[in-house]
Amino acid sequence: MALSFIKRYSAGAGPYYSLGILLIVLAYLLSAATQDSSALNDLFIIILAISITSILLLIALLGRSIFGLYRDYKIKKSGSKLTIRLVSIFAILILVSTSIVYSFSVHFLHRGIDSWFDVQIEQALDDSLELSRSSFSIRMRTLLRQTRMMANLISELPDEELNHSLRETSRLSGAIEFSLWTLDGQLISTSTENPALISPNKPNDDVFRQLEKKKDYISLDPNDDLLQLRVAVLMQDQEEQFLQALFPVNDRLSTLGHSVQKAYTDYKELNYLRKPLISLFTLTLSMIVLLTLLASIWFSIWLSRRIVQPLQELAEASQAVASGNYNTKLAASGYDEIGFLVRSFNQMTQRLTQSRHATQNSHQKLEQQTHYLTTVLGSLSSGVITIDKKHNLQTANVASNTILQIELHNLLNNNLNSLSTDAPHILPFIQLIEQKISGQKDWQQQVEIQQKKGMQSIMCKGTRLPDHAGWVIVFDDVTTLLQAQRNAAWGEVARRLAHEIKNPLTPIQLSAERLQHKYLPLLAEDQTQTLTKLTNTIVKQVEAMKEMVNDFSDYARSPGLQLQRLSIGDLLREVLSLYQSNPSHHFVLLNSNEEIIVNIDGNRFRQVLHNLLKNAVEASEDAQLHVDIVLSYHAVNIEDHPWLEIIFHDHGPGIPDDMVNNLFEPYATNKVKGTGLGLAIVKKIIEEHDGHVWAENNHDGACITIRLPLEERTID
Amino acid sequence: MDFIMSAYAINKLLRHLGFLLLLVSGHANAESFSVESAQIDPIGNGYVLTAEIKYPLSLRVIEALDNGIPITFQKQFELIGPDSLLGKYWPWKQTLWSIEISNELRYLALTQQYLLIDLDTDYRRYFSSLDDALKSLGEVNNLILPPEYIAEPEGLILRLRSGLNLHALPTPMRPGALISSKWQLTSPWVEAQWH
Repeated sequence: MALSFIKRYSAGAGPYYSLGILLIVLAYLLSAATQDSSALNDLFIIILAISITSILLLIALLGRSIFGLYRDYKIKKSGSKLTIRLVSIFAILILVSTSIVYSFSVHFLHRGIDSWFDVQIEQALDDSLELSRSSFSIRMRTLLRQTRMMANLISELPDEELNHSLRETSRLSGAIEFSLWTLDGQLISTSTENPALISPNKPNDDVFRQLEKKKDYISLDPNDDLLQLRVAVLMQDQEEQFLQALFPVNDRLSTLGHSVQKAYTDYKELNYLRKPLISLFTLTLSMIVLLTLLASIWFSIWLSRRIVQPLQELAEASQAVASGNYNTKLAASGYDEIGFLVRSFNQMTQRLTQSRHATQNSHQKLEQQTHYLTTVLGSLSSGVITIDKKHNLQTANVASNTILQIELHNLLNNNLNSLSTDAPHILPFIQLIEQKISGQKDWQQQVEIQQKKGMQSIMCKGTRLPDHAGWVIVFDDVTTLLQAQRNAAWGEVARRLAHEIKNPLTPIQLSAERLQHKYLPLLAEDQTQTLTKLTNTIVKQVEAMKEMVNDFSDYARSPGLQLQRLSIGDLLREVLSLYQSNPSHHFVLLNSNEEIIVNIDGNRFRQVLHNLLKNAVEASEDAQLHVDIVLSYHAVNIEDHPWLEIIFHDHGPGIPDDMVNNLFEPYATNKVKGTGLGLAIVKKIIEEHDGHVWAENNHDGACITIRLPLEERTID
Repeated sequence: MDFIMSAYAINKLLRHLGFLLLLVSGHANAESFSVESAQIDPIGNGYVLTAEIKYPLSLRVIEALDNGIPITFQKQFELIGPDSLLGKYWPWKQTLWSIEISNELRYLALTQQYLLIDLDTDYRRYFSSLDDALKSLGEVNNLILPPEYIAEPEGLILRLRSGLNLHALPTPMRPGALISSKWQLTSPWVEAQWH
């Protein structure tokens, strides 16, 4: 409870108010004590207690401030070092100046108080006191002799004349009082000049002790403000009695005696109090100096904090700005240099904020433009890549991945040469670029690369970036375009051939048949055989030519597709059933797990299947191999699109290497018979269905793959 | 003015505290004052106190006295009795009556005598030796106790002690005297014997 109160009290402004009140009270008491020195006597302890309390309170406040400084320094609070440096300088200045003033003050204090005292004055006072005593002692000796004589005189008188004699003797001697006493203190007779006195002045114990030693007594006694001489002598004949006489001292002498005694006592007292006085003044001075010192140091800490506070705020604000908080704003303080600094800082942060906003806007615009460019590049069907002057890949759009069949996004910042390590099939493409970018001019060239589906023709165009920053390469897959051009050329050739050749064939055949029919009966038997043989040859060759022309016609014409939804499994089984007649031929159909419905032209697709099966059977038979063909179909998902994939695996001799890349070109055949258009027609029909077909060799035969697009809902 | 008055009140309190300090430190000093005897005798319808106090002054005090510093002695008497409300059931005591007698002793250089002044009555006595003065100072003869409190003396305690009033010293000497054991001469409380 008490501890929490102390904590709460010391944490607030209570100590400062308390100290202020104490100092005001102290100042008031000191003022009162200065005006009235007797008040100082009474207030001394209070003043001392308040001073010590103030000093202790000030020490506590100073300790708290110093601890606060130390704590700030330990946690490396901004401005703490500067504050400590300022406080140290202030403290040193205060200590040095206060120490000088204090030492000089103490010195002057000692010298000042010592100067009050003088050896000659002291000696003079001693001498004057001694003189006074001597003066009185002469008179005392005279009075002692006189009293002894009177005592002798009185002792000789009879008892009945004693009172009268005492009065007479007293009157004659000028004494104030004469009294006769026994040594045990009994009054025998008395005579006094003051009738108001009822009883005589009783001798004190010293008188009795002295007389008991058989010695007369004489002393100078103070009597109110005056002095008097007391003489006591033993009676000569009656030793158990003594006579006491009190003699007045002259007023002037009394006054002088008192004056000398007072001066002597005061001086001696003052001299005795010299050391305590110096100690007291030194103590007072030390306390005032200590109070001033502590207050000054405390004030220096307060002042240093006040000076450093704006700088500290500036430092903290600078740190905030350095860490990215540009909205920092300081409260304007005054119109001095620090205030100017604060206002300049605020202007700086304001401009920084504006610049930051401008930069953010620019950055945002740049991002928008980059996004726009990325979107444009991404939506381009052409591949776009950029390489820097060190031939490192910098950017690659989506189309470049599709065209080259390689994830270039994962290979950014790699050197071009290292790209072919991951994808050897693009080596010609890389070599072309490496070769061309060594020059300085823009370039354009076509390059062929081997893809899984066959040779791919890529048209590349290189443009140098500004400031020799690298190259941008734009390339397109022109395989389809070239294929289309070739198809168009072959179609034109086939159409013209069909048109130009087919027309004369029928008259030739008819003429040959008519020639045989007309001249056969007219010829000799040995000649008829020759005629028959020749005309049959003409008819057969014409039939062959007609067949060839029909094939050309089929290849050239492009009738509209009659699309219908068909089950691919049923279609394959239907076509395969036509090939079951030969028991030496082996056909296996690997069905898919699900029923796949495909949108195709049934008749033309049957032609595709027939051409492929016929081609495979003939290839195995030509190589005198057992016909063993495996068909499979299933749905695959490629680049988030469903496809139907049909695979023919013939276990035959395989495709010659020089034909793999142009197997589906017209007249690409190694067979003795046939037009060489079968596989070209296959490819034409598949492409009309937006599909792909390609061939590859396996370890035990050729493998032809057809891929047709599917709608997702066609898979059950 | 009121403030000064209250300051005096605080001063008085501090004096009492100082006296307490003297009492505490006085126990530790072998040369402190001592109450040699104290007895209460019935006289007529009342009682009187007779006591003897020994004042062995330290050299520091004698030196101050010889240098003209007046020394103030204090004798304190307290009559303590049971509390009127709880006395029968609870041993709680209260001070029924107290008195403080102050005497000043000073040396007169001219007559080479010691002057003993009763500060309450201004009665002055002169002594040619310090011992005589101290002996006279230490005699308490027939101090009349207040009869209103001693109707039934059973259970009453009269105690006394004596010491120096350091606050009466000149200001420069006071701080030194307050902290010096050579000035801490107050006797312990001694209870008087009832006869």
